[in-house]
Amino acid sequence: MAIRDDFEVAAGQVRAAVQRFALGLLVLAAFGAMLIGKADSVLVENARVLALDLASPVLEAIARPVAAANRAIADLKEFASLRQENARLREENARLLAWQTAARRLENENEGLRGLANFREGPEASFITARIVGDSVSAYVRGALLNVGRRVGVAHGQAVVTGEGLAGRIAEVGDNSARVLFVTDVNSRLPVLIERTRERAILAGDNSPQLRLTLLQSVAGVQRGDRIITSGHGGSFPVGIPVGEVVETGEGGVRVKPFADFSRLEFVRVVDYGVTSLVSGGSGASATPAPAGAPAPGQRIR
Amino acid sequence: MRVDGSLAMLDRWGRWVLPGTVLLFFVLLTLAPLRAPYLSDALPLLPMLVVFQFSLTTPERLPGPLLLAMGVLLDLLLGGPGAPVGVSALGFVLIRAAVANNRRYLVGVPFLFQWFGFCLLALGFVLLVWIFTSLWTWTAIDPLPALVQYVVVIVIYPLIGPLLARVRARDPLNVPELSRGTARPGETTP
Repeated sequence: MAIRDDFEVAAGQVRAAVQRFALGLLVLAAFGAMLIGKADSVLVENARVLALDLASPVLEAIARPVAAANRAIADLKEFASLRQENARLREENARLLAWQTAARRLENENEGLRGLANFREGPEASFITARIVGDSVSAYVRGALLNVGRRVGVAHGQAVVTGEGLAGRIAEVGDNSARVLFVTDVNSRLPVLIERTRERAILAGDNSPQLRLTLLQSVAGVQRGDRIITSGHGGSFPVGIPVGEVVETGEGGVRVKPFADFSRLEFVRVVDYGVTSLVSGGSGASATPAPAGAPAPGQRIR
Repeated sequence: MRVDGSLAMLDRWGRWVLPGTVLLFFVLLTLAPLRAPYLSDALPLLPMLVVFQFSLTTPERLPGPLLLAMGVLLDLLLGGPGAPVGVSALGFVLIRAAVANNRRYLVGVPFLFQWFGFCLLALGFVLLVWIFTSLWTWTAIDPLPALVQYVVVIVIYPLIGPLLARVRARDPLNVPELSRGTARPGETTP
């Protein structure tokens, strides 16, 4: 009896102590979570992927009605300007048809010249179409969640494009979900070419709607309206995906406006280029196609 | 009590899990691709609003460990490479503690006072997250988007806060509870 009383007293004391220090314990636990995240980034990455996979079906259920509502609103807005839009499109169509003829002619010519020069093209790209089921946009990150994952061939580092141009790259992959990091995110660094001068540079995001062009050879060579395309350096991106257009050159640096409209993305395409493991960083174990592709360009031409 | 045993039990269960479920819903809603300008920026702060409101009305149904788990889940889902996981959890726990320690200024007072309290705590939360994220990634993050977030969430608080507060107004019977917000001016909380 006495033992039981003692036990109850002790248990009561422990409970009181836990209650008194509850806040401290919780704060410590939160700091612990942060420290674990800092020390073991692989664990956190796996936890993120797991959370994404679990949340993805729910998000997909939410995303459909939301997308329908968004589309209805957009339809209403467009209805007002239908006539002008039609006229504009007809004009654009005429112009594009002219371009199409030019492109066909150039394509044929290009093919012939390539045959003559024995040029070896890069790997063929294939596309995976994905629906955006979640925005991961906050004050600190610019990205989105896709409803496709490893199961259909999505891998870390693949390019994500819209009809207009490059949107971003795959940052995390789960079984049935993936996270895109947009080019506008503060962590995004993209090797690019200035289309007109073929000069290389790095396009950096800073969470604002516009991008910053850095590591240029000379700022003087850049003009307003220059198109920026991916350079393919680093291996995971195909060459020549349009990214954006230079809108500002000055002391503040060169600013680029991306072609992709991030505010109304609904579907995107993931570009499977076949060589993603070159840049996937940590996973060195699966560096399969690297040796095969590396020596090719220099030797073939000779 | 015996008469409607199973219904009453269901009712009680519902009441107990409601705050947690609402919080989970708002954590998931953070990722919903709403394309409304400004509103979608403020979504990541809505779970914080829920934590504040339920800490006012029914803190016992939103225990600390649950807040911790929800905060970690929110950080995991929001993502961002290198962003600290657990900073939202820290913020939630601190908000709950701050509300619990200042109940007499926040409960049973005109709504404007509650709103003011929310403004202060939300500012603290936003600053905490901004400082930790900046330190953790060691980059000077532009504070402007965070400020926009803050302003938007303050503006929509009067729309959502009272709605969530109704959860408490419908408590069954008038059973006095420890945390029913019956504190009077001058009374200190245990």
